[in-house]
Amino acid sequence: MLVPAVAVPFFGAVLVWAWRDRAFAHWIGVGAAALALAVVAVLPVGRGNGDWVSIGGSLSGGWWHEIEFAWAPSLYLDFSLAVDGVSWPLAILTALLGLLCCLHNALGAERRTSGALQDRLARVETGGPSLAADDASGVPGRPAATLTSLLLAVQFASTLVFFADNLILFFIAFESVLLPMWAIIRRYGDPVARRRAAAKFALFTVGGSLIMATGLFVAVADAGTADLGAIIVAGGVDPSISLLVFTLLAIGFAVKAPLWPLHSWLPDAHTAAPTVGSVLLAGVLLKLGTYGLIRVAGGIAPQGAADAAPVLAVLAALGILVAGLVCLSLPELKRLIAYSSVGHMGFVVLAFAAGTEAGVRAALFGNLAHGLITPLLFFLAGALKARTHTGLLGSLGGLRLAAPAFAGLLGFAAFASLGLPGLAGFWGEAFTVYAAAERGGAWLALAAAAAFGAFLAAAYLLRMLRRVSHGPLVPATSGIGDASTAELVVWSPLVAGTLLLGLIPGPLLDLFSEGLL
Amino acid sequence: MRVQAIDHVALLPLYLASGAAVLALFAGRFAKPCMMIELGASALAACWAAGGKDRATFAVGDWHSYVADDAAMGAAALFAGLSVLVAAVSGRQSGEYWFLLAVSAAGGITLAGARDLITLIVALETLTVPLYVLVTKPGRDGAEAGVTFLIASIASSATALMGAAFLYAAAGTVHLEGLATGLADADPALVAAGTALLLGGLAFKLAAAPLHAWAPLVLERAPLPIATYLASASKLGGAVAVVWVVYFGLAANAGASTGIVMAALSVASIVVGNLGALVQRRTVPLLAWSGIAHAGYALAPLAVVATAAGRGGTAAAASAALAYAVFFVLLEAGAFAALAAVRETGEGGSIAELSGLWRSAPLPASLFLFAVIGLAGLPPALAGTFAKVAVLEVLAPSAVWLAVIVAAGTILGLAYYLPLARTVLLGRGPATAKGRFAIALAAIGLALLAATLAPQLVLDFTAISR
Repeated sequence: MLVPAVAVPFFGAVLVWAWRDRAFAHWIGVGAAALALAVVAVLPVGRGNGDWVSIGGSLSGGWWHEIEFAWAPSLYLDFSLAVDGVSWPLAILTALLGLLCCLHNALGAERRTSGALQDRLARVETGGPSLAADDASGVPGRPAATLTSLLLAVQFASTLVFFADNLILFFIAFESVLLPMWAIIRRYGDPVARRRAAAKFALFTVGGSLIMATGLFVAVADAGTADLGAIIVAGGVDPSISLLVFTLLAIGFAVKAPLWPLHSWLPDAHTAAPTVGSVLLAGVLLKLGTYGLIRVAGGIAPQGAADAAPVLAVLAALGILVAGLVCLSLPELKRLIAYSSVGHMGFVVLAFAAGTEAGVRAALFGNLAHGLITPLLFFLAGALKARTHTGLLGSLGGLRLAAPAFAGLLGFAAFASLGLPGLAGFWGEAFTVYAAAERGGAWLALAAAAAFGAFLAAAYLLRMLRRVSHGPLVPATSGIGDASTAELVVWSPLVAGTLLLGLIPGPLLDLFSEGLL
Repeated sequence: MRVQAIDHVALLPLYLASGAAVLALFAGRFAKPCMMIELGASALAACWAAGGKDRATFAVGDWHSYVADDAAMGAAALFAGLSVLVAAVSGRQSGEYWFLLAVSAAGGITLAGARDLITLIVALETLTVPLYVLVTKPGRDGAEAGVTFLIASIASSATALMGAAFLYAAAGTVHLEGLATGLADADPALVAAGTALLLGGLAFKLAAAPLHAWAPLVLERAPLPIATYLASASKLGGAVAVVWVVYFGLAANAGASTGIVMAALSVASIVVGNLGALVQRRTVPLLAWSGIAHAGYALAPLAVVATAAGRGGTAAAASAALAYAVFFVLLEAGAFAALAAVRETGEGGSIAELSGLWRSAPLPASLFLFAVIGLAGLPPALAGTFAKVAVLEVLAPSAVWLAVIVAAGTILGLAYYLPLARTVLLGRGPATAKGRFAIALAAIGLALLAATLAPQLVLDFTAISR
């Protein structure tokens, strides 16, 4: 089942692109994404018990499923995929977000409610590629099918990253994410900012992934194999180079995660990207960084991880505080959400750096929770911007009066993001603080900093709600429609997921505990 | 007197290529098809020779001057194939054109098998001399290109010969295998000087810094098919020469100086090439400058022969360098062939003129895009990614600093490759270019696709061993 899980989005992308001029192209995309979700969803069926057994000299059984084909043996490259309790939740999150984004495009959820005409004019004036030329489907208010195709390509590459059991394949998949995402930002982004943002995104990402690749190759040369599972089970690379490997890998993943101070591409990219692009950036691409940090960097260089943990933790705590303080003064909605991601990812990295069992689980949980909540926030922000044509907090207000259901959802997402108990965001952050405090000593200060960061998050999210939802109606918000059925269809799985993880976190934590770390 | 036995099977590709040259000279209006068929046969013969056991001929004791092992025959087949591709995108030309092209290809095939310094340098000259004429278009610009190429080439040949002379003085032999043992107790200063001069001179063909300045000027002013040849087959010649000399000759006992020379050439090329490419507004100079950077990436693995850790892995380093060179020349050939197909005026023009190419000529545009993305080293053009992986896998364990420089160069490369790709794909220019040479483009496109899906094809024959 692993091959179809990866192949379905790929062929979906190709098919949508091939038929991009037809009206049904979007629905092919939705179908492919739905099929991919279904395939990923059945992966836990028939899984092993998580114990490693030695069969004929090679270890197996720790993965739920694994497959392997030789591709280029002299480069140590095998097409080998595997899945376990750590990668599966992220893969299903990817598939879910992919489906929601395709659905969002197919239903035209955003543009139907927006002044599409005004948007078109802006594009022509700024000399961007005209959507009209590409979107021959004839349905007004729907983004081009090529966008859906690119989304599926990102989904394909990300799924491949999560399932890769070969370090070289991991690197190639990691690099594959870059071009489609660059194209999404560059072509469909905000006409004013997209050029700079796309270039910055591409340069940062490729820089990070090449530094990461250097670390991977050092590890491969030391271990004599590129099999991720085998290296992890063998206890990682030789202790003498462990710190070097971990440093190179951590720099690479820290760019993607992003960890302060390597985060500066993120706010630009999020602000400039179209809604679906932001959703995938927040929900999937950032996860590649944290997944890599926890699974790959922590797995193949555990000694190095332990040595570098204080540095990582201090950077993470600083990131939490910086993001909180910056968010307090940001005037723009999408940028604010983007910066809040830096803070949330700081929690994940801090939890991982703590290195205890509780810490690693908190990191994985916080990672997943962020992948549900922040995309929801981006969907809402995108819908709001499409209605009001502005994202400036200063010119918004009174949403509660104009669109009560919409404002309610925004409030729900904001509360989830600030870590209200009972919602998904709570467990990750609470256990991060707990894990850091558990280490004692100077870690107590970091725990306190993280807790203060959570307080700052509450402050800036409430400020955002006050500016957007409350107060009197302003011209921008008067007369806008409430959430449409199409929008509710797209958003409801995220809301349900947030509630589910918040109320019953146990099953997910159990999954993590049987994973290979 | 005993006459030396000559292995004619090993020499078959070379006979066929020489035959192609002769045939082209006398076949009149059928020169082009005759030459293409003969060169194609030469490529097949090389593949067939590679399939059999390794052969060698022209022996002095145990040392052979001409070897037909897998790597040599693979390179020979590639030379012949690239020459056929260039011929296919050349359009209508006079008979001498085909003759000169075939002679150059024969030089390349000789070079692939050469295992002594004299054969190597003669082969390299045979590869280069016909190009003096071919790069020269009528008119002032053409003459300037021709003269620049002539002077630069002669200067570098003289440099290489001087280096070869020093090495001969040091080791008392010109056979590469002889150098491997003969340099053991030679004067270190003489060896270092010889190594630096020889490798510096050979690197000219690869357009590696500091002998790089001819490349942008000559490539821009030469006719596009010849620019294709210069950027692909001719560069492959430089890479093969350097790899042969380093691996078979110098690595064993002149490892330290070789490694330092290689590291210097490589870093200089990466820096100069990328910075030069950043400011280009015309397509061919951009590719030429970035080609200088790629020469640096290709030479980088050879630098590890300097370090103690590297010496055990000399074969891996040389294989990586050759593999990179092969992937790179395939991608360059794709980019230039696509350009030759869409620019009927025969010159590259500015990048902006490629705007909208995607809509007016999809096949050349997609080949060009694939090649450019591959040169940037990004999936889905995995041929370029594999090349990067091969180089970084050698560099990461033994010379992390060089790996970081290669990575930094690649990041800079994105800054000019991505806008180029964007212009072709999304630009809204009034491009009216019609694609020509569809079969040739499809052939090189399929070759690139094969290298992408089954990199082991390339990696198998570039895995060189003694």
